[in-house]
Amino acid sequence: MDAFFSIFNENLLIATIRLATPITLAAIGATICERAGIVNIAMEGLMIIGAFFAATVSLLTGNPWLGLLAGVVAGGLFSLIHAVGCISFHLDHVVSGAVVNILAFGVARYLMVLFYGHPGTTDPIPRSLAEFQLAIPGLSRIPVIGRALFQQTPIVYISFVLVICFAILMKKTRLGLHIRAAGEHPLALETIGVSVFKMRYLAVVISGITSGFAGAFLSIENNVSFTEGMTGGRGFIALAANISGGWTPIGSFLAALFFGFADALQVRFQIIKLLPIPPELFIIFPYAATIVAVAGLVRRSRPPKEVGVDFIIEREEE
Amino acid sequence: MSITRLKPIVLILALVLGLAGLVLYLSSYFIGLLLMLAAVIIVFAYRAASGEKEAAAEDARRLLRNLSVPAAGVAVAVLVGGILMLATGYDPVAAYRALFYGGFVKNWHISILNASPLIFTGLAVAFAFKASLFNIGAEGQYYVGAMVATYLGIFLKLPPLFSIILIFLVSGLLSALYNFIPALLKVRTGAHEVITTMMFAHIARYVSSIFIRGMGGDSAGPHPYVSDPILESNWLPRFQSILPRANYRLHAGILIAIAMAIFVHYILTRTKFGFEIRAVGQNPQAARMQGISVGKNIFRALLFAGFLAGLAGTNQVLGLEHKLFENLQAGYGWNGISVALLASNHPIGVIFASLLWGALDAGGQYMARTTQTPNAIVEIIKGIILFLVVARYLYVALRNRIKRRRRTAGEAA
Repeated sequence: MDAFFSIFNENLLIATIRLATPITLAAIGATICERAGIVNIAMEGLMIIGAFFAATVSLLTGNPWLGLLAGVVAGGLFSLIHAVGCISFHLDHVVSGAVVNILAFGVARYLMVLFYGHPGTTDPIPRSLAEFQLAIPGLSRIPVIGRALFQQTPIVYISFVLVICFAILMKKTRLGLHIRAAGEHPLALETIGVSVFKMRYLAVVISGITSGFAGAFLSIENNVSFTEGMTGGRGFIALAANISGGWTPIGSFLAALFFGFADALQVRFQIIKLLPIPPELFIIFPYAATIVAVAGLVRRSRPPKEVGVDFIIEREEE
Repeated sequence: MSITRLKPIVLILALVLGLAGLVLYLSSYFIGLLLMLAAVIIVFAYRAASGEKEAAAEDARRLLRNLSVPAAGVAVAVLVGGILMLATGYDPVAAYRALFYGGFVKNWHISILNASPLIFTGLAVAFAFKASLFNIGAEGQYYVGAMVATYLGIFLKLPPLFSIILIFLVSGLLSALYNFIPALLKVRTGAHEVITTMMFAHIARYVSSIFIRGMGGDSAGPHPYVSDPILESNWLPRFQSILPRANYRLHAGILIAIAMAIFVHYILTRTKFGFEIRAVGQNPQAARMQGISVGKNIFRALLFAGFLAGLAGTNQVLGLEHKLFENLQAGYGWNGISVALLASNHPIGVIFASLLWGALDAGGQYMARTTQTPNAIVEIIKGIILFLVVARYLYVALRNRIKRRRRTAGEAA
């Protein structure tokens, strides 16, 4: 029983929320994107860009908040490449996303060498966002879940707020309706005078911004430096979370929690060394869990009808 | 006497010249390029003389047209890369000179060594694309192939040629099986192969660490772990054994890769298997109407793609490294995606795209060493080339605009 509680305790819950945060942020971005009809496999690269700029600006200015801003803006701007690729240039969405990923790795590495003189890991930042941990008075005293939910660091709170905002946006607002229409029936949307292009651009940039948050979380909140490859496939796990969550912000959040839990569990098993097996078997656990979740949950809901389908208005040649 | 009676002689002559030229060129004997050129000229001259003038000219035009988009992409990317280097305080002329000299002349053998696994992984991605599937996890299948090749390479004691063929087959088949679950999930539940193969790629990477420790890797020693070396009888033959001036590391893997690309091209264009794959990729509904099973072809495409990607790992272990390193950072699986996109999924195009990518990598290292320009600029250039090549719509729009302008200009006059 002691061994059981040495793993399944309050700390595991806290770690679950923390490790779920980057996946949540990217997953709700993916939700908006796919509801607008755009497949975005570029989020892995966008997270890299966000993480790099967040760490670099934090290092240059000494202020992690400016770093956060830089990471988010960089993620949003870089996502425009994907938007231009698959909306204006009518590329296959998956191809465009793959190219943006490749470009993102290249840009991050080039700037790494330019700024730090070597690839790999940046110097540690002087102050990280983890210093701004905030316990919400009262709520953080709730037994079991109090510390996990209400004694957290800034970007974790931001992710909670964004999940709620996006859920309301998609369900209750006209803008949300237009975004969903862009993915379900773009022609109808165009007919009532709303630009499908604009909605889809907006959706891609939103996913770029949330990926920027996710990247910044990895480099300046959960860590004190940027390392190449630190995203470890989270952009793709986020896609899986979006699908398992049935293309809704709340569902994505819950699925991301599950993946965060798998990740937290493997970390604790590695530390405690309860079973005499190679540590790598624990590391692969979240990846295996992702496959199981996608396979098991994908049928329960329907993807947006026109997701991944190019929208092009044929005009008569004059 | 009709010239058509010379056909077999001309063909054999061209083939011999071409093959000899290829082997020579790949082993850094640059005279090989002239031999290959001669072979091409002979074929075209023969076709022109035997009355196929129109068809030959049409083929030549089509080749040029197909090459124009990648060439334009490379040109613009080189320009943008140059501006970037200027802006960040490096000398683009010196850097590009070093890049070209290093990639295509001085370290051409490294370009070849880089290209051979890329051809396999590029084919793996391209083949799946033909069935409209994105085998993004080729990296994982690459690891499986490398692991199986290492295991068999250490333990298999058979006559050299026989054992090499056996290792290639077995490691390819097991890598194919590694795509079985993604294929099954795709057919049964519709789970997207981008997610499943990607997750399997990460799994393979970590499993390889366990494998290497089991194969003699010293877990107490520093990273990266290294497995025991494979038996020398299982090494791929080297060019140096027949061509003394060839670099000692060059091995026959590149020839196997090129043969495989031609084989894949043959499958796709000349066999029922290839036809069904393409039919399913272009229009699944229509294919189903024709009685072609979509599910069966998804299985075949993903499994064959896994087979091809696995061979890349086998090629590296048997040909170059002769042992398995932990976390090979080369990323041949990921780069295979670029290569396939650059070649627009044409198997023969994959060969040239791989050589270009391999040369850019080799040249980039040479450039970094001699001119201190960060070789990551090469990664950016690659990304820009890719973006411009896949953005075909751009060229269509451009052409339409030029046409329109010409027409209006004509009307005005």
